[in-house]
Amino acid sequence: MMWFLKGIKKRIKTENLNDKYKIKYPSVLEGKSDYNCPTGAIENNKWVKEKCIFCEKCDLKPTYKQDMYNINNNIPDIFKKSFYLYPIDSGTCGACNTEFNTIFSPQYDINRFKIFLSNTPRHADALVIMGVYTENMDKVIENAYDAMPEPKLLIGLGACSVSGGIIGEKISKKFDIEILGCPPSPYTIINAILKARGNVK
Amino acid sequence: MKYYKFGDKNGRYIGSNDKYDVYENTIASRIAENNEKIKKEPYEMYFNYGPSAGGLRESVNFNIVTPGETIRDITVNSYYKRRRIKIINDDIDTALLKVERINGFHSASNTVCFLLAVEDALNIDNHNSNNKRIIEIELERIRSNLDVIKGLCESAGFSVPEKQLLYLMEKVTRIISDTFNHRYFFSANYINNVYGNFDSIKLDDIYKEFNEIYNGLLESKIFMDRIQENGIVKDANSTGPAARASGYKYDARIDSKSLVYNNYNIFAMEDGDTFSRFMVRSNEIFSSIEIINNNLNKINNNKNDVKIENKSGEGAARIESPQGDIFYYANIENNKIKELSIISPSYLNIELFKKAIKNNNILTDFFFVWNSFGIWISELEVDFI
Repeated sequence: MMWFLKGIKKRIKTENLNDKYKIKYPSVLEGKSDYNCPTGAIENNKWVKEKCIFCEKCDLKPTYKQDMYNINNNIPDIFKKSFYLYPIDSGTCGACNTEFNTIFSPQYDINRFKIFLSNTPRHADALVIMGVYTENMDKVIENAYDAMPEPKLLIGLGACSVSGGIIGEKISKKFDIEILGCPPSPYTIINAILKARGNVK
Repeated sequence: MKYYKFGDKNGRYIGSNDKYDVYENTIASRIAENNEKIKKEPYEMYFNYGPSAGGLRESVNFNIVTPGETIRDITVNSYYKRRRIKIINDDIDTALLKVERINGFHSASNTVCFLLAVEDALNIDNHNSNNKRIIEIELERIRSNLDVIKGLCESAGFSVPEKQLLYLMEKVTRIISDTFNHRYFFSANYINNVYGNFDSIKLDDIYKEFNEIYNGLLESKIFMDRIQENGIVKDANSTGPAARASGYKYDARIDSKSLVYNNYNIFAMEDGDTFSRFMVRSNEIFSSIEIINNNLNKINNNKNDVKIENKSGEGAARIESPQGDIFYYANIENNKIKELSIISPSYLNIELFKKAIKNNNILTDFFFVWNSFGIWISELEVDFI
């Protein structure tokens, strides 16, 4: 009871997604650069967002826009009702894991969009894979994916899983949704999932 | 190397990796351990948990031997997410991008320790940057300690303080983001330089709000019952908050010369249980805020000139990361990494966890004990190739 009252006293802390605080890096970059990027994120002077780790070494300028994602397939309408995510760590540094947990914080409260965590892949709608490819986790990811009911989605979260980043090799699976950034900010994660489900135009 | 030399055991044990055993003042060759597989009695069973399961943030597997309720023995298999990072022959700038991503949640500690080792190797004067480095490490410690206490609340099913601590973690992350342009300090650190706008660091609200949560938790009999007298471990070979919670006043902020803190008083407890680790972590949030406020008055925002005269050499550094001593050894040849070695505090903390969980605990104590050590597998399971 005591903690319930303490919680009520703090009032609502959840923020409107339009009132974003400014995140400089990672954010959408613009401009041209001839920098010899160690991850290959600049090709023919243009930005390749999937490979970028936002190291601030090139001449590209941050725009503070938090919508770096790719939606590669049509997402079934059934996921508009509720959406359960099962995160799996292939080979992360820990930053993607932490940003993923942050979307459940009072500021972002992703539960308000009917998006929840599942404790098992058997009840999950989407597998969220983070980190670079690692030999030992490859089989674990395969087993988790096989255990999921249809229809099911694969989400790649972070530059490491999508392109290998600067640390290693990318995950060999094809993702339905790619969420980009090193690590992706909570806004990017929420924007990508809402867009994929068709909650926003 | 100014503060380290290769040799035999000298001073307290800091930790090991595949190649070295590191002590307070020396680096010794690794003595391999004889790891025997645990065997169960006829009335016991193996309970296998992980590497991927609800409740685990990172991929790690536990093999628990139990007769049904108590935990008699445990093995921790942390190798599942072992990463092989190509860093040998990289120049220092490229290596730095990779070191930042060894443990992103503790990127400041890893990066600063790596740079201190590089500066030691190349004989670079770094005294102008160290106040800024102390500020970023202490900011990281605040966020890390909030995360550990949040984990304890989560284990106890205390959703309100858990969410309030998650809210505070995000507030600290936004202060880091506003100061260093990145939520995890990426690209903020360079040789003898820290890039950031330190004017945006205001921690009075964090102090006040955490103090309310801390006092609320201390008044909760249910929470105290769950964390007192479980996961007890007292071991001379320990590190960080786990050491200080069991009466060993080990702290690299006092006993390492790599990054010198002035007038720091160690907060220590005696019992070595989960409650003691909670108390140490909580009180270090308050002391970190004080350290940051004191150091903010001492910094200047000028960019430091870097004069690299030697392009080859070997260096080592040890600092106090949020989980304990972190150590880097770097051998540099013609401005390229010839050898790099890390001793993570998670190595000793896993050893301590194994001893603590076997000490009269039941299965429901598992998450309290695991979360109280703040172990990160990412910085433990890494090969430099």
